[in-house]
Amino acid sequence: MSKESRIGVYICNCGTNIAKVVDAERVRDMVADLPGVACARTYKYMCSNPGQDMITQDIKENNLDRVVVAACSPRMHEPTFQKALEAAGLNPFLLEMANIREQCSWVHDDPGLATNKAADLTHAAVRRVARHQPLEKQEAPYTPVTLVLGGGIAGLTVAVELAEAGQRVHLVEREGRLGGNVGRVDLTAPYLDSARDILAEKIVQAETNPRIEVHLRATITDLQGFVGNFTATLSHTHEPDQEIPVGAVVVCTGYHEFDATRVERLGFGKYRDVITSFELEARLRKGRLETSDGRTPRYVSIVHCVGSRNPKYHAYCSRVCCMTALKYGHEIKSALPDAMVTDLYVDMLSFGKGGEDLYRRTSELKTMFLMFEKGDYPVVRKAEPDDDCGLLVEVQERLSGEAIDVPADLVVLMVGMQARGDSDQVARTVGISQDSHGWFIESHPKLAPVSTATEGVFIAGCCSSPKDIPDSVAQAQAAAAMVLGYIAQGKVQVDARYAQVDTDLCSGCRMCNELCPYTAITYDPDENRSSIQSAECKACGTCVAACPSGAITARHFTDEQILEQIEGVLAWSSSQP
Amino acid sequence: MEFEPTIVGFLCNWCSYTGADLAGTARIKHRPNLRVIRVMCSGRVDPTFVLQAFSAGADGVMICGCHPGDCHYLEGNDKAFRRFQLLKRLVAAYGIEEQRLRLEWVSASEGERFARLVDTMTAELRELGPLVRPPDLAGAPNPCPEVPREVAHG
Repeated sequence: MSKESRIGVYICNCGTNIAKVVDAERVRDMVADLPGVACARTYKYMCSNPGQDMITQDIKENNLDRVVVAACSPRMHEPTFQKALEAAGLNPFLLEMANIREQCSWVHDDPGLATNKAADLTHAAVRRVARHQPLEKQEAPYTPVTLVLGGGIAGLTVAVELAEAGQRVHLVEREGRLGGNVGRVDLTAPYLDSARDILAEKIVQAETNPRIEVHLRATITDLQGFVGNFTATLSHTHEPDQEIPVGAVVVCTGYHEFDATRVERLGFGKYRDVITSFELEARLRKGRLETSDGRTPRYVSIVHCVGSRNPKYHAYCSRVCCMTALKYGHEIKSALPDAMVTDLYVDMLSFGKGGEDLYRRTSELKTMFLMFEKGDYPVVRKAEPDDDCGLLVEVQERLSGEAIDVPADLVVLMVGMQARGDSDQVARTVGISQDSHGWFIESHPKLAPVSTATEGVFIAGCCSSPKDIPDSVAQAQAAAAMVLGYIAQGKVQVDARYAQVDTDLCSGCRMCNELCPYTAITYDPDENRSSIQSAECKACGTCVAACPSGAITARHFTDEQILEQIEGVLAWSSSQP
Repeated sequence: MEFEPTIVGFLCNWCSYTGADLAGTARIKHRPNLRVIRVMCSGRVDPTFVLQAFSAGADGVMICGCHPGDCHYLEGNDKAFRRFQLLKRLVAAYGIEEQRLRLEWVSASEGERFARLVDTMTAELRELGPLVRPPDLAGAPNPCPEVPREVAHG
């Protein structure tokens, strides 16, 4: 530092959220005399308009060149206070926050120790901010062409929405037809309208719109570049690979059904009249509801939660099966009014619009509901010769506490949804993460449900978790809107936080080349130096920590900033003199 | 007065820091001994940071990242894990007890787990007592105005 900084420190009371445990005035007094601190204040709500105005005014009147706000988590209000700096003409990167609410006052009871901790965190922020550099955001052009992976209901919706808004789309489907899993369904819950009708319209729209290029039997094998400026490599079964420039990628690769042979006691694969829900859909679509030997079933047993809500298989609920099972009750009773339909279920989850109503309507058709304990699947066995049914389903019924043999000519297994077997390959190719079940992870479960860790790569539909058709369509439309937002801007802002190589220090060892999870680092053999494409760097800093020459700097997370923070956090609390 | 160890935590922005925030929103009480430093990824944690923390007076260091397979940056936590193996030996070479350095996985939804980790490590370090800083790790002086410390009110 050539001259001493002029730092303003603002300690928020957050009403009583912070102040009831942390003595904010005391923190202020402790940090007020630190080197570089020009003023230190407390206020009841720093994020309020008067609070922000106070900071903006102080910057102007007291000539502040850096700001520390000790308040809530930076994940909450960092953008708010960055704006307050910008309003006073100060670069937003000259702000540092100390998290004294989520990570202090809300989790500690002892006012003395909590105040010490808050002071240490604020001290560290003061030391760190003194080393901050103003950073400028960069701009890059945006290619208004979108790649959509998956031709199911979600992918079709994204493609059609974008094309109808006048934008070009490449729609990639690995199978030989469009439609995905919805194309395997007969009627849809809860209103019992035809899946075929819903889908046919979308497929015609996609196939006839000149702005949509449909690639069947094709997969993505590579994605290079960054938001607005990707190059995707498509691999077709019978054609040479194709490279296409795109601005964004929307992943709508859907799900696989659970493999019911894994639950042996259900007899799938052993008895021909034990079928999955998808096999039943196929029969319903053909209008031939029959057993394997062509007879009309008198007893149909529907087993819920096959592969779902069971830690041995998938701990999560697959969300659509209860409603689909109720729909089956309806369809079977409509076609065969004399048939006895039994639902063997764990809990009836008939959530959402029209759900409870379908439950009531199906119950009125006199289907029977028997409850079993989660994980304690019924056992299917062959019936005796003198029974009037082909199979018997033994269930430990929870409400009566009795073991009941349910007669069945047809057993329908409500197989849950699981991540596709090839989803890890897709995730690696497009640079997104998966949860422990294999589902793709959104960048925020509530506030950014179709965005991912890679800017410009979106997810919609069942590839991120089980969903019904309306939710998948809503996500698809949301993803299309996100893409249209980029297109409307015509350019992208590239994060100012990225890693930079000092070529004078780089020894060309290439250690960083291997560490980068993206493709941000390139090596120039002529110069024997590595360099980083700032727009492709996501600022993880892994290369920075590994560089043996210390040639790489993580902007806004530099070594010296973090080392100052370490010293600051320990300066008052070190156990040693 | 009972010994209160000071632990420096390096938490990745996407999973562990968010998990620590969740402990806050869920009001899951835990010991006030951890001082958190946010990094974008556990892979950013330079061994120098850890040594500097011990040198500047930390009694323990806890590095937290996303669970294996859940890394926001795909595999930065794996890099952190590999580096940690080396770091453990380095720290041991300074005569620092192994309980003073931990690498833990905390997801954004594991506020409870985070809180318990802080409690466990604090209890272990209380047992172990203050770090006797090896002379060759005694860092540069850390000048700042002396202020009287608060004592526990509880």
